[in-house]
Amino acid sequence: MKIRLELFGASRDFGETDFLELNLKEKSSIKDLREEIINYVNEKFNGNENFKKIVEASAFCSEDNNIVSDNYKITKEQKIGIIPPIGGG
Amino acid sequence: MLHVKVIDLKKEKIEISNAEEFISSSKFGASLFFTGTVRDANENKKVTGITYDSHDTLVIKSFEDIYKEAVEKLKIKDKAVFIEHVKGYVELGKISIIIAVACQHRAQTYILSRYIIEEIKKRSPIWKKEHYKNEESKWLKGNPIQSS
Repeated sequence: MKIRLELFGASRDFGETDFLELNLKEKSSIKDLREEIINYVNEKFNGNENFKKIVEASAFCSEDNNIVSDNYKITKEQKIGIIPPIGGG
Repeated sequence: MLHVKVIDLKKEKIEISNAEEFISSSKFGASLFFTGTVRDANENKKVTGITYDSHDTLVIKSFEDIYKEAVEKLKIKDKAVFIEHVKGYVELGKISIIIAVACQHRAQTYILSRYIIEEIKKRSPIWKKEHYKNEESKWLKGNPIQSS
């Protein structure tokens, strides 16, 4: 199933648009999505360590705008936001 | 009484006068205006400006949650709170955030304003990309947000 990963903050450097389209197996979790993004970084950015650290430290936001844990099951095609470490003000 | 907004600088400006207008009331005996502005140096680098990024929906939600919690935790009954944060490019010295609060008494305004800014720093999905005089721009490290 297709996931539209919306990019914010430091993760905006992962692509040239505001989002990435990734393919996940049915019944995947946020943990699987995180691994898929790391695979993407390995392929596209030659395993860029800084990018991988960002992915590892990020939270994720579901389509209904809740921060979800690694166990959260992605049951349908949807958009998910990657939320890298924050620091506004 | 609460006003929250993310200001997209491509479309509008952030104005302290809007905060003054919102919190102004004869019910309150104290008003406090906090603004965050862009500083010209960070970690020994000469900063020329900052680009702010925001997950607008989550930011608004976090502002509202922080307000509700402040009501419960600080038990300040009558108050007005105005919170706006920008997204987009901000020049040196310009405003990135306004937190304006009005309460019956001055001590309440200091407590409430400080509570709000500290919680925003911890919880609101906003990011900064710093621009430098002689170096490549960089996203600041930040702190991981916690899942609920």
